[in-house]
Amino acid sequence: MTANKILIVDDEEIIVRLLSMSLRSDGYETVTANSGEQGLAVFKSESPDIVVTDIKMPGMDGLELLKQIKEIDPEKEVIIVTGHGDIDSTITALQRGASDFINKPVRDEALAIALERAKAKIAIRKKLEEYTENLEIKIAEATEEIRRKSNFQRLLIKSSNDAIVAFNHDWKVVVFNPAAARMFGETAKDVRNKMTIDDLYSPEIVKIFKHQATTEIERGTFPWKEHILHTKDDRQIPIRYASNVLHEQGEFMGTVTFFQDLTEIKRLEKELVQSERLAAVGQTVSGLAHYVKNILIGLKGGSYVVDVGIQKNNTEKFKTGWETIKRNIKRVGDLTQDLLTYSKEREPEFEVCSPNDIVEEVIDLVIDMAGLKGILVSKELDPDIGDIIADFQTIHRSLLNLVTNAIDACLEDEDTSKKHEIKIKTYKDKNDYVCFEVKDNGCGMDKKTQRQLFNPMFSSKGGKGTGLGLLVTGKLIEEHKGIIETQTSPGDGSTFTIKLPYERSNTVEIN
Amino acid sequence: MSKKVLVVDDDPDVRSFVVTVLEENQYIPLVAQDGVEGFEMIEKQKPDLVILDVLMPRGSGIRLYRKLKTDETLNQIPIIMFTGIALRSFLKSQKALDEFNGGEIPRPDIYLEKPVEPEELVAAIKKKLG
Repeated sequence: MTANKILIVDDEEIIVRLLSMSLRSDGYETVTANSGEQGLAVFKSESPDIVVTDIKMPGMDGLELLKQIKEIDPEKEVIIVTGHGDIDSTITALQRGASDFINKPVRDEALAIALERAKAKIAIRKKLEEYTENLEIKIAEATEEIRRKSNFQRLLIKSSNDAIVAFNHDWKVVVFNPAAARMFGETAKDVRNKMTIDDLYSPEIVKIFKHQATTEIERGTFPWKEHILHTKDDRQIPIRYASNVLHEQGEFMGTVTFFQDLTEIKRLEKELVQSERLAAVGQTVSGLAHYVKNILIGLKGGSYVVDVGIQKNNTEKFKTGWETIKRNIKRVGDLTQDLLTYSKEREPEFEVCSPNDIVEEVIDLVIDMAGLKGILVSKELDPDIGDIIADFQTIHRSLLNLVTNAIDACLEDEDTSKKHEIKIKTYKDKNDYVCFEVKDNGCGMDKKTQRQLFNPMFSSKGGKGTGLGLLVTGKLIEEHKGIIETQTSPGDGSTFTIKLPYERSNTVEIN
Repeated sequence: MSKKVLVVDDDPDVRSFVVTVLEENQYIPLVAQDGVEGFEMIEKQKPDLVILDVLMPRGSGIRLYRKLKTDETLNQIPIIMFTGIALRSFLKSQKALDEFNGGEIPRPDIYLEKPVEPEELVAAIKKKLG
């Protein structure tokens, strides 16, 4: 709608009529008044868009009319008609909010221009009004959307099963969801906006976080890490956590961490390992039966030979039979030991021990037996290897097992022209692993045998093996977070290396 | 004249047991500790009977048994299988090998599952050698 209705106020009747006629011919609708009082009344009843008023009128003059109109509606356009030299009034009028003024005698063009300007002003104001009104609606809509979204995110964080903790740039806790409250044993009320990272995390983690936040602006993501959380109420929870350093336009904003409680997973893992172990023992039973039968054969045969020796007073026979019996008694002992080690969860007993001493002890045990069979046992020990913290029994047993295997590998070798030799080495490798290497030049293994090495029930020694030896060794070394590496080639021999992480063996807690 | 009996077994305990049993019953014992050595000994000594283990390194008893049974000059030597392996498992492996190689190898006359009493072993030897 365009501004079209014009009120003309002048005490001179003739001027009112002339202007009115002229404006009507331009397409405006006009209403008129001959005094300020009448003008105000018509203004109230007709509500024109624009008012054109003379200043000098008896009674209420143009300035007073202007003032009153502006009081009623400050946005109405009022054009003032002034006489020559009436500068003071004109200025007063403009100060009171008149939109324009024209001089007497009123010329049509001057009036037309003033009206156009007034109309343009009205149009702009209308647009502005519409725009402002829209803006308010849009802001209201956006506010609602933001509220909805932030509510959604708040619920998301609240309902998460993972504990979520976020810090602002001052390392103050700003997010602490119910899962976090459960995990840390603190209430959100006591933590949020009150605690800092130092109150909540262990110094070790704090260090990692702060380092990450200040140095790695670009890549502020941590991979998942596992950790034992010590809570205030004295629980120890296995957790894993991942963090993100948050940035806004390159500025450090804070960090957020996601924690997962691994208690249940750890329990299941433990159960799984235990049940796998039992299953492996189950699978091995048939192999064991065979092995036990062989021992029985030895014992029976041996006692028969002893009997003959006694009857015939044949010392040679007696000795042979007795040796057989003793050998088989030892086999029973070894088997029992293997079975116990494998079926039971034995806690390693960590102590300070010297890798080289372990090797010396193992060599002492086997050197005579190997020598009798024409096998040379030698050593090459790193004198600077230092001490490790490990279960002496475990390492000793594992190493003895590998050396016994190496001797068997030499005995099985079809190439009897070879000078058989076993070399035991200790050294620290480039990854700081403490290594025990057992190298033989015996029969070696093909790929298939190598693959089956750590399977239960598998034995390459026919009836002589329980199929448990390497299985037990593997388990023992695993308990030390170590690894066993195998290199072999059929006909050339094998090398087994036990590698223990040096740091771990040095820093592991002594129970 | 005393008859020669060869025992082929990788287990020294078994060898000393069987040798003693043989000596006690006036046989001449011969020993070999694997299939390869066993075959050499059979060719050289022509024993009257072979007591054969099944699971051995270097030429198992299964292989030696088939080799002897398919050798025209040696297939008349009686064999006593003397092993910890169940007869069922042994026959199964024989059947698989028969199918693989074609033809059929006769079953062993006497199959003894360890452990056996000395008397059982003596009875089996006597049954073959009289």
